Amino acid sequence: MKKIMILLFVSLFSFSVNSNAKSITLGWAAWDPANALQELTKEFTAETGIEVNFEFVPWPNFADRMLNELNNKGKTFDLLIGDSQWIGAGAVYGHYVKLNDFFDKEGISMSDFSPATVYAYSTWPKGSKNYYALPAMGDALAWAYRKDWFDRPELKSEFKKKHGYDLGVPANWNQLHDMCKFFQGREIDGQKRYGAAINTERGSEGITMGVTAAMYAWGMEYENPNKPYDMEGYFNSPQAVEAVEFYRKLYEDCAPPGHSDAYMVANLDAYKSGQVAFQMNWYAFWPGVSKEDSDGRVSGFFANPKQNVAAATLGGQGISVVKYSDKQDLALEYIKWFARPDVQQKWWDLGGYSCHNDVLNSPSFPTSTVYAQGFLDSMGIVKDFWQEPTFVELMLPMQEAIHDYVVNGKGTAKGALDKIIAEWVEVFEADGKL
Amino acid sequence: MSVKKKFKGLSDKAVGWLFIGPTVLLLLAINIYPLVYAIKMSFTNFYANKIGREPQFVGLKNYIKVLNKEAIWEKMQVTASFMFWTLLLQAIIGLGLALLLNRKFKGNELLTTLIVLPMMLSPAVVGVFWTYLYNPQVGLFNYVVNFFYDLGSFDMIGSSILAPWAIVIVDTWMWTPFTMLICLAGLRSVPNYLYEAAEVDRASKWQQFIYITLPSVLPFLLLALLFRGIENFKMFDMVVELTSGGPGSATELASINLKREAFEKWKTGYSSAFAVILFVTIFGFGNVYVKVMNKIKER
Repeated sequence: MKKIMILLFVSLFSFSVNSNAKSITLGWAAWDPANALQELTKEFTAETGIEVNFEFVPWPNFADRMLNELNNKGKTFDLLIGDSQWIGAGAVYGHYVKLNDFFDKEGISMSDFSPATVYAYSTWPKGSKNYYALPAMGDALAWAYRKDWFDRPELKSEFKKKHGYDLGVPANWNQLHDMCKFFQGREIDGQKRYGAAINTERGSEGITMGVTAAMYAWGMEYENPNKPYDMEGYFNSPQAVEAVEFYRKLYEDCAPPGHSDAYMVANLDAYKSGQVAFQMNWYAFWPGVSKEDSDGRVSGFFANPKQNVAAATLGGQGISVVKYSDKQDLALEYIKWFARPDVQQKWWDLGGYSCHNDVLNSPSFPTSTVYAQGFLDSMGIVKDFWQEPTFVELMLPMQEAIHDYVVNGKGTAKGALDKIIAEWVEVFEADGKL
Repeated sequence: MSVKKKFKGLSDKAVGWLFIGPTVLLLLAINIYPLVYAIKMSFTNFYANKIGREPQFVGLKNYIKVLNKEAIWEKMQVTASFMFWTLLLQAIIGLGLALLLNRKFKGNELLTTLIVLPMMLSPAVVGVFWTYLYNPQVGLFNYVVNFFYDLGSFDMIGSSILAPWAIVIVDTWMWTPFTMLICLAGLRSVPNYLYEAAEVDRASKWQQFIYITLPSVLPFLLLALLFRGIENFKMFDMVVELTSGGPGSATELASINLKREAFEKWKTGYSSAFAVILFVTIFGFGNVYVKVMNKIKER
């Protein structure tokens, strides 16, 4: 009996050691692209024999969960597909492995990837040659619209009569407002419809990602390009104030009732249930939206409209190796495999957004899906929120002040931006940047 | 060896310590030590996410900062208002329901079970499904209100005027049964002969309520409100799910703000000072309240 118990123990132990040695864990957000990555990764396991376990965290808890894990030097994840804003903290606090030597050794060149994505997802300090991630999932905030409604002759002629131009993809934010308002409260096929499902979420980053889509298009800069962290007159410039006021007007005039704390899923729900003519959302969702077009719904997609300048809010993530992982070698093997052009092509085919030039520059890419051209356009004009290690401390006051002004209708846009600057100054001072 | 034999030779006091020892150790480890550590941290500029940066002693700076910050007082006002209205409504409705259920009628037990159901739910789940009930387009709440009085479309959680009421309503819905149960226990402990004597003295029903029922049930009601007061002072999950503290900061209670400062901004020193202030506040109020409650009991 004793011998049997020892054998059982040894076999169990060796199994667990074995499975630990040949498996890694990858953390990401729970959304459509994560499922595509899981599918794609089966090929990696088939090629290398390394099992990849996935832990996908719902978006509202994603940052909390992952950043707590990193701050606690947790070993749960070997690989992390973290938001672009985390790169500063990942590098400065030593959470991510610096990949330069590995890239050199394996012949992975960052020039093979779209420059905007390398800048945003991989480098710290920004624009340097220090790489802490491989661009994994390109993304930007964009718009989907009900093309089937836009194509109805009676709506087209009514709109043209009213506004003097065609109902179609809006050329700027003023046209976007006109079109959204045109649909607000309108009865189509016996149902009351509304203008646009836009980001208004208070808890994490939603309303900031939404309002910055307008602010960037108005030409807002976070800081004086010649004097870092000098925000006065830049972040609260007259153009920035106008953009925030415009976003509030868009919310008041065009959002469906009760759309006061909405982000990705709520926008998708409002659109899929036929409530709205437009939704603001990330490119990551467009494969799903496009695939699920049914009951006469035909979706069109377009990049963030310009106003004073062409710009779009950056989303997306890079894939990093966690410094506290005991299996960095296996994690790096995954990155080596993922960087291969053929894998990147499959990644795009499955619904992920590759950042590899071979995929993006392929002649067939712009027509490969209805949103591919928009994606290309957007990735050329993206701008991101602060990527400082203190980005959460910078995000929270913006969420509060903008939500207070846009949704709550409290105070003025200038007042909200001034309040944010005051909070940011405090954060930068505490961080020794000012 | 029997337990009796094992403990033979130990004094009663030693056996007592043996029994309460693990609990005391546990309390020291998970309550007292973190409290002392938080007090220590509150005098430093510690950031838990800034690895390798040694915390420096900053004296009372964090306390001064917390107490001088206008936004903190706004959150405290929101918390005070939330506590006042929830406790008031839960006291009135809870006592009313207890009086109703203290009568004998058919279906009494079934009704009691149905009434206590909300408090058995998870606060986070309650927060989530009330967001649907409050939805201006499809929510049952708006439908019911409009059925009785046509207010048109209104957004309970998107308006800074209505959102504080939205969280008060949900908390009252969820926790009134708790007040009711405690009051019911009090009502059932009132001896019948008091009412019989009052009947003999020709006291009206109202006089019986004022001079017998209310004094008897008051200590129970106060105890229920003490529990609810402490709970609502640290209310977090339900409100986060329902409004995320919004719109703007209209429903951002002190506990929500504390969580954001401590675990999103990682201002550990500052948030420790804030937590200590909140602790002292609730501890002070709790003590005064218990003393008042004991005086009422003694009467």
